[in-house]
Amino acid sequence: MAEPLLLIRNLTVEFSTRRGRVTALNGIDLDLLPGETLGIVGESGCGKSITALAMMGLIPDPPGRIAGGSILFDGEDITRADVRRLRSLRGADISMIFQEPMTSLNPVFTAGDQIAEAIMLHQSANQAEADRMAIELLRTVGIPEPERRAQSYPHQLSGGMRQRVMIAIAISCRPRILIADEPTTALDVTVQAQIFDLMRNIQQQFGVAIMLITHDMGAIAEMADRVAVMYAGRVVEKGSADAILDNPLHPYTRGLIGCIPVLGREAGREERMPPLAEIPGIVPPLHLLGQGCAFADRCPLAFDRCRIESPMLRGNSHEVACFAAEMEAA
Amino acid sequence: MTTETLLDVKALSVSFAMPRKSLFGQRPILHAVRDVSFSLRSGQTLGLVGESGSGKTTTAMAAIRLAAAHAGSVLFDGVDLLKLDAEAMRQHRRHLQVIFQDPYSSLNPRKRVGAIVREPLDLMMPNISKSDREARVRELFGLVGLRPDQMVLFPHQFSGGQRQRVSIARALATTPRLIVCDEPVSALDVAIQAQILNLLRRLQNDYGLSYLFISHDLGVVQFICDDIAVMYLGQIVEFADRPSLFSRPRHPYTATLLSAAPSLARRKSAGYVRKGAVKDDPPSPLNIPVGCAFASRCPQAQPKCREEQPVLRGNADGFVACHYPLT
Repeated sequence: MAEPLLLIRNLTVEFSTRRGRVTALNGIDLDLLPGETLGIVGESGCGKSITALAMMGLIPDPPGRIAGGSILFDGEDITRADVRRLRSLRGADISMIFQEPMTSLNPVFTAGDQIAEAIMLHQSANQAEADRMAIELLRTVGIPEPERRAQSYPHQLSGGMRQRVMIAIAISCRPRILIADEPTTALDVTVQAQIFDLMRNIQQQFGVAIMLITHDMGAIAEMADRVAVMYAGRVVEKGSADAILDNPLHPYTRGLIGCIPVLGREAGREERMPPLAEIPGIVPPLHLLGQGCAFADRCPLAFDRCRIESPMLRGNSHEVACFAAEMEAA
Repeated sequence: MTTETLLDVKALSVSFAMPRKSLFGQRPILHAVRDVSFSLRSGQTLGLVGESGSGKTTTAMAAIRLAAAHAGSVLFDGVDLLKLDAEAMRQHRRHLQVIFQDPYSSLNPRKRVGAIVREPLDLMMPNISKSDREARVRELFGLVGLRPDQMVLFPHQFSGGQRQRVSIARALATTPRLIVCDEPVSALDVAIQAQILNLLRRLQNDYGLSYLFISHDLGVVQFICDDIAVMYLGQIVEFADRPSLFSRPRHPYTATLLSAAPSLARRKSAGYVRKGAVKDDPPSPLNIPVGCAFASRCPQAQPKCREEQPVLRGNADGFVACHYPLT
């Protein structure tokens, strides 16, 4: 196994709220290998995006703070880096694309300007060189007529094209890590397929490691090498994409896979599809997390121990944090 | 299964006049829905599928007169809704309800959810006493899986899934026969999606509701719909029942949508790369191409496709508008 590019160890992030201090990330461990795609799955409020923000040094402080643990990038702890160092890391070494390309692009600058800005911040290029590189990047991300499109404002571009511009900005400085936070959720399936295609090409071309945050198991199947499933600020299951999809061990992972109406085989004429599996209830608000497993209240397998003690991640290549799964395995 | 037709839409067209480009210029016309016909049987679900901008929402809204159609007819239980005067249409609204996509903007933030659910009753059934209306709201809360003590809360005190339950309760208040569901689960988390889809299905079985279900998620459509109309640039390009459409798509666009849909079986580890994905974006509805609207993105397009517009023609399974349908 290659040396990990990024090592997250025991990362804990807290926020102070009106209801007191809440733990948004509770001691998570993650590795990202060079050139791989790591999928992060879970419902809203599970800590997926907070993990990404922590990697970029973007946790708003206050109210948030990194209360413990480390994020080692190439041996350097990002959680201890100062503002200047973070600024040079962001964009140059670690960059990010977001769910809504309309709100992440500046509406009053052209697509070309915004790409050139990122280039001039991190590389010694003058305006003319940066403009030329911006057009090249637009070509790389598959935008037709890049010379003309560089002059377009975000509102003149379709959703798919905006996401391509975001990707062009993100890869402009050849980062080693690309964080993609729900990059296709707002897009049509046909455009989604195009964006995934582009991300794959970029990964092959530049060898960038991708962290794909999504709630879409279909996207995980198609894109991810390894997967971490998050619930209420913890990683509850971790393993290869095949292991997670074919042999999910945590009841939450099983629920997530079971409840998606994925395209299946047709049951037959006039016969309706069987009801979907449901995970009852909702993700508990962070301020109401007590002791014990956070999933216990929604879990079909919960027993006494689950409500008293919080399970740790256990296993070798396929890890799971669940007492019921441990008993099943034993 | 033959059941009576509840909604029969014929040759419906909707267009919008856009702002002038110059002071003396013509106002460009955007043809959002072009000559669309379909029918929905009582107690069934008809899915309207397509990319954003394909006209699916406008079609549904025009069918219940929330958008103005400029041609066509909409027979609801034999009555042409487009010909009714304002008061008669208002009276008909009790049979036609809507559930919107965004559970945040579709509920008035300044009203208690009990009052939100009661409002259709206040408007449509003022002859029922207030206490009876309250009792009905209580009953509706139970039906959609909310507790009656939550009636006094405001929308912001609910999660997205719970708000969508409030929307459903409001839609059910006047015991409608048709509910337009406009992407009702696409703003929700996957686990919550399943809860809401199962609820919609159960309510349909219990009350014989008919749904006009708008979605771009084919997994959701396959779960809930009986018949499906695939739309592209304001027209229906394929219409078929669910088993036929999903096992034998006839239109290349339907086939493309199906191959682009996420599936757990398509694995990176097995070297899967999405094939046949269409390039680019759909053409602009302001400038509709001659011939087939899909020709510019179609992998099978022939010269004829760029010259002559295909019409919707019946086949063994349904209807398809394509010169060279797949077999």
